Amino acid sequence: MATVTCKDFQGRFELPEDLARGSSPGDLSVQAHLRDCPSCRSFIEDLGKIRAAAAQLVASDPEPPARIWFSLRAELEKEGLIRDTPSKTPSKSWVRELFSGRFTALPRPVLAGGYLAALLAIAFGLSGPINSRINRQRWLDGTQSSTEPLSAQLMSAEKASFSSFPASESPVTASLHQNLEIVDNYISLCENSVREEPENELAREYLYEAYQQKADLLAQLNEQ
Amino acid sequence: MSTAQFVPLRFNWKTGLLAPGLLLVTSSAVFAHNIEKHFKVEPRSVVTIHNPNGKVVVKAWTKSEVMVIATHASDKVEVDAEQTGNRVDVMTHQISNSISPDDLRADYQINVPEDAELQIHDDSGEVSVANVLGDMNVETVGAGVDLEDAAGYLTVRTVGGSFQCIRCAGRLEVSSISGSFKLLSLRSYHVHAQTSKGNILFDGEFLPNGIYRLKNYSGVIEVHFSPGDSFDLSATSLKGKVNSQASLTPPAHAHPVYSKFGNAILGTFNAGHAKVELSSFDGTINILKRE
Amino acid sequence: MARVRRIETPGELPESEAIRLAQAGNAAAFERLYRLHNRRVYSLCLRMVGNTAEAEDLTQEAFLQLFRKIATFRGESAFSTWLHRLAVNVVLMRLRKKSATESSLDEMTEPDEESGGPRRDFGMPDLRLSGSIDRVNLQRAVDQLPPGYKAVFVLHDVQGYEHNEIAEIMDCSIGNSKSQLHKARMRLRELLHESMRDKAREDRKAAGNAGGED
Repeated sequence: MATVTCKDFQGRFELPEDLARGSSPGDLSVQAHLRDCPSCRSFIEDLGKIRAAAAQLVASDPEPPARIWFSLRAELEKEGLIRDTPSKTPSKSWVRELFSGRFTALPRPVLAGGYLAALLAIAFGLSGPINSRINRQRWLDGTQSSTEPLSAQLMSAEKASFSSFPASESPVTASLHQNLEIVDNYISLCENSVREEPENELAREYLYEAYQQKADLLAQLNEQ
Repeated sequence: MSTAQFVPLRFNWKTGLLAPGLLLVTSSAVFAHNIEKHFKVEPRSVVTIHNPNGKVVVKAWTKSEVMVIATHASDKVEVDAEQTGNRVDVMTHQISNSISPDDLRADYQINVPEDAELQIHDDSGEVSVANVLGDMNVETVGAGVDLEDAAGYLTVRTVGGSFQCIRCAGRLEVSSISGSFKLLSLRSYHVHAQTSKGNILFDGEFLPNGIYRLKNYSGVIEVHFSPGDSFDLSATSLKGKVNSQASLTPPAHAHPVYSKFGNAILGTFNAGHAKVELSSFDGTINILKRE
Repeated sequence: MARVRRIETPGELPESEAIRLAQAGNAAAFERLYRLHNRRVYSLCLRMVGNTAEAEDLTQEAFLQLFRKIATFRGESAFSTWLHRLAVNVVLMRLRKKSATESSLDEMTEPDEESGGPRRDFGMPDLRLSGSIDRVNLQRAVDQLPPGYKAVFVLHDVQGYEHNEIAEIMDCSIGNSKSQLHKARMRLRELLHESMRDKAREDRKAAGNAGGED
């Protein structure tokens, strides 16, 4: 029986798969080496661990961001590869994709105002992806028509929450009220910014998130 | 079978507990109530703590046991710790309708196995967790939160409480309205930190394929980097300033359209292995080299 | 021209039908195909280039090339194999541009020992990779692999393709695929050992500095 060296053993690339499948290597000298050499046994075990760990890697991969599709779709339209008439109502999955995970930092149950914040986002999404064909006035009109009912809803919820509290409130409710004022201030700043630059997606994102924060704070106040 | 030993002094006590455990009660002062409870648990236990006011300190130990030590001054509250299967629930109950915030206070010292999953709700006071490697969800209003050597999926939400995280790994999501954050010596592959009126300091590692998103409305976002780090940077402040000491190369790829508004710095540092996104409404963003 | 049906719920369209409709220019069909495969393609690109921004670009480029050529797809191979082949080519071309030299897939591997590759000690008592392997350390090690090794490793061990599929994707032989995979795993093992040794060294240093304080 020819002697198998560690170099020979570790160079045989089909061995790890065979051993992983439970097949015994046909070559007796290889079997003997595996039995007698702790280093090569360790080598085979390590390769198995690497393979097992690699299979878990894909589970940790982030979701591809929604902007890849938006950008891709715009390019397909530009190149004329998309040939059917664009629908006035965008696909639900596109809208869902745009706003999924947007508010994951704030997972608490929220008042109807928070739900309306999501509706606002969807309503705004119906305007379609930003590109040079969409004009400034349309953005401004779209923003105002979406934010006015939401703003009114949140204001009335805020008034209701203030009226239900006794004159002397706990430090916790005092803190919630103080932070509500902070958020109201940011809503006002963001609204001004959106009015000045309606095409500024980042400003609108900040505005939506401020509404969401406000709804969340009101929900916490109600829980107190 | 459990053996219960207790000294019946001035406290109320729920005795219908389900799990066996060693029960030891002492009282050291006339108006101070202490309880200590132990629960045997299996790996990956879940521990929930609901405490409206007071300190919550959680530490990991090597035993397969959860130990709860609770102290409260007022007899208008009672503290409960119950076990159901592999889950231990700890809560502070208000037992009188007329109660001041100080009466509501209870302080906890809890030891857990390092792989325990924690869910903590503490409106005001302090929350401190050390060496726990399981997933964690912490919610407070004004209470500050301090995590050290934690790992797993960490989610923290405060309204006004500050947040400090030292030598943490795993995935971190933290949000606040007016709390400030200090993220130090982090080895996390995913960080999402958002506050409205607070400052954010990030001084940690940028792992390859890691994603680091820091966002506020106003205040300062400060990020420290070393010459050996490798990240793609997108830093935008709509109304404030962006200052960077990193020598960036313009990237080959397109960036989000909103970068044309406000002040922005976009580029790649070294090979661009991690992704760093910094965003502020009218605050200042500083990207500074470590000395 | 084929009559295009209006797609009300793109989420339910079978792939074969989506391909047919995409060949006719249907937008919802394009989206359906994208949704079916985007995660895998993005994951492949991310593992190969190591940063999310570039992975996004490459994902978009791969799908763009796919959709440009979709009219020529005749079903000789599985659609996903065809797509992944495009994606791998897009990635390797980008990596080749970065290294600024034209090289074949076989050349984009580690030099052998004769030409100055790392010395490999066989049969030495070495540190076992204890416990399970940390995902972060593994990814760091994968990032250090040469492109050819990395491609085969990612396709086989991470994404689960068989060698015959990899051979088709990478236009190489099955034997070549197996050999590259083996070399990739051996190199990863070395890198992980180095990482373990570094960590052990740091821990010893830290313990020395702490001086026993608790």
